[in-house]
Amino acid sequence: MGPDRRRRSVRVGLCLLLAAGVLVACSEERRDYPLTEQGRDLGSLSGAAGSAPPVAAGVNFERILRARAEPQNWLTYYGAYDGQRYSSLDQISTGNVRDLRPAWTFQFGEFGIKAGEATYSFEAAPIVVDGVMYATAWDGWAFALNAETGQELWRYKHEIPVDTPLCCGNVNRGPAVANGKVFVTTPNAHLVALDAVNGRPVWKQVFGDVRAGESATLAPVVVKNLVVVGTSGAEFGILGHIDAYDLETGRRVWRRYNIPKPGEPGGETWPEKGEARNRGGGSAWITATYDPELDLMYWGTGNPSPDFDGSVRPGANLYTSSVVAIDPDDGAQRWHYQWTPHDLWDYDGNNENILVDLDGRKLLAHFDKNGYFFVLDRTNGQLVRVAPFVERLDWGEIDPSGKVSPRKVPTREGVDICPGPAGGKEWTHAAYSPKTRLFYVPTIESCANYRVEPVEFKEGLPYYGGEANTLPDHWGAVRAFDPSTGREVWEWRNDKPMVASVLATGGDLVFAGEPTGELNAYNARSGELLWQHQTGSGHHSNPVSYSVKGKQYIAVPVGWGGWVKGFAPGTLGVPRGAALMVFALP
Amino acid sequence: MRRRVVVLAVLAAILSVVAVAAVIFPDYFRLLRPSVLKQLDPRVVKLVNELPGVDRQNQELLGRLFALGGLAEAKEGPDGVMRVDVRAPKGELIWEPAIIVMPRSGELEVDLSNDDPYVHHAAIFPSNGDKQFVMLPIHSRGRARVTLDSPGYYWFDCPVGNHGGRGMLGLILVRGDVPAEARLDRPEQPRP
Repeated sequence: MGPDRRRRSVRVGLCLLLAAGVLVACSEERRDYPLTEQGRDLGSLSGAAGSAPPVAAGVNFERILRARAEPQNWLTYYGAYDGQRYSSLDQISTGNVRDLRPAWTFQFGEFGIKAGEATYSFEAAPIVVDGVMYATAWDGWAFALNAETGQELWRYKHEIPVDTPLCCGNVNRGPAVANGKVFVTTPNAHLVALDAVNGRPVWKQVFGDVRAGESATLAPVVVKNLVVVGTSGAEFGILGHIDAYDLETGRRVWRRYNIPKPGEPGGETWPEKGEARNRGGGSAWITATYDPELDLMYWGTGNPSPDFDGSVRPGANLYTSSVVAIDPDDGAQRWHYQWTPHDLWDYDGNNENILVDLDGRKLLAHFDKNGYFFVLDRTNGQLVRVAPFVERLDWGEIDPSGKVSPRKVPTREGVDICPGPAGGKEWTHAAYSPKTRLFYVPTIESCANYRVEPVEFKEGLPYYGGEANTLPDHWGAVRAFDPSTGREVWEWRNDKPMVASVLATGGDLVFAGEPTGELNAYNARSGELLWQHQTGSGHHSNPVSYSVKGKQYIAVPVGWGGWVKGFAPGTLGVPRGAALMVFALP
Repeated sequence: MRRRVVVLAVLAAILSVVAVAAVIFPDYFRLLRPSVLKQLDPRVVKLVNELPGVDRQNQELLGRLFALGGLAEAKEGPDGVMRVDVRAPKGELIWEPAIIVMPRSGELEVDLSNDDPYVHHAAIFPSNGDKQFVMLPIHSRGRARVTLDSPGYYWFDCPVGNHGGRGMLGLILVRGDVPAEARLDRPEQPRP
């Protein structure tokens, strides 16, 4: 081949290559069709009515203060500010509960990928206002339903990134309702105020940093002109805080951190030097109770971080695993009581603080994860009584004066300690009946193997400093306690932990769900099981009672999930669910 | 002399091919940047080397391993809305691109076209308020406007048949941070 021919061949080759490239590029060109299809709300392709009656416009602070005076409604998370989870409705009673049957079911088996796919759970306490029910589900969903028929009125979805840091579950415990709005927290720590008529956002605020490991699961609480929330995330070494927003504008009015700065009261319970305080935990993931006479909110606070390795945070670590009484106007702290000083067991202190008045005293009752039942004077935080409420308890002793003596702590080698990290009682709430003057408590009898594994803190990564694996032999009970003596009055044992909130009613009934799907009604005075209905999935929610047109209903969200590995690993295979079930007499 | 001419011709041909290819396939050449090469994860390289068919229908697997498709960054318009085009090409059961990047939280407009004569498609997009549904008959075009207000990643899907499982599962990546007022009052902390 001569030089000319070679040159010609190279040129031809290059041209062919270029032509091939252009051809490939052209073949990928997009075809242009007329725009005929527009995106639409998925909910517009359902039976949802699209709007709800404007009943929430009349709900204000004064009405919530007197919530118990309108037993047809369930106006706030616990039914009333006192946290008693008691409905005075008595149409359904010990005499007729055997006739209780399903009235309607709202199913929400949504599709798609979600954060914490294996941990979503239906945990809400529905709010009911004059025949309209407002509820939230996992992953940013909220609904309005006809409380008599179950018809969906509207829905709202807040999109949650799949990679949102969640320690324990993609869950939400319910909305708050006031001034014509429905207030909802989302797993990525947003607070959204929705128009109660159509479900459209009125305002929205971000109150946590997902990059720092913050999230939110709690139901907001409305006090005066404020809606108050707290974050989750002490398993990621956050700095726990409580935030208050103006109901109407969404402007943040105050934020208080649950870990004091150096020089502030309690600051001496953290190492002077280093970063421990800045990663101290102390989240606030359970709704506060409120005493309007004292004008104090009672917030539980979460575990210190890291959970199990206390060597990096010597001291009592205030105000973690505590109750703090705070002024709703400015978030200022009036007093505190620490249930578990220098918590090494992930016992938290978030469990509800129930307000009762007995023998002329204003008391606060608290069943802590650490297995002890505390009664405090809620005017000043002084201890009135403390006693264990579970059988399996060996982490430490708390004497009648409140002195805490730890007996077993996590080690590098691992050690079995009771209760496990889910506690003698999980967050799921106890109830108090002013009629029987008894507390009804869902309890867990479990232990766990605790092990310390020191780790370097990295923002956004789990910061446990070890692990606690719940042992397989666990069970539970519903127990009734007399607050005036601290003694157990009756017990109903179950071969699985009892991890759903209890509801007490004026019909002398106590309702509690089981992990295996049974919804139970007990005689409130004797503990006798009077009625049972298999709902098809486990209970980890807040049943409520209300009435419409004179008919009493019992409503319970059903959908097993959450941190099952921690509170009942023996039930990890229970069928998941997504139903809000409502029961009534024929 | 003749040998030198041959070598030079071959070199010139190679350089020409490289230059032409760099113009036609710029993304391949951008992979050769040191900043990208140093991040090559041997486990991912192994996946592509040993199972190249995971990015094709009915080869290594039944469908295509999701999110192995292309990536496109949504561009912000003068109205502040970010926009991106996504298509379903012929007979592949994929979204192109499979990954949409939003540089920040906000509104995103997705212009969709179905170039696939084999089957109709549809799209479900995440959006605050409610999920957005767009029907996509064969040879059609649709549009979805979505709002995403938090950094992290989200999914979109074709809900027809098991098109999502076959490969029509896409991701929307939202970059950025939460607002300054939402952050914790503490010094900067080390990140992984």
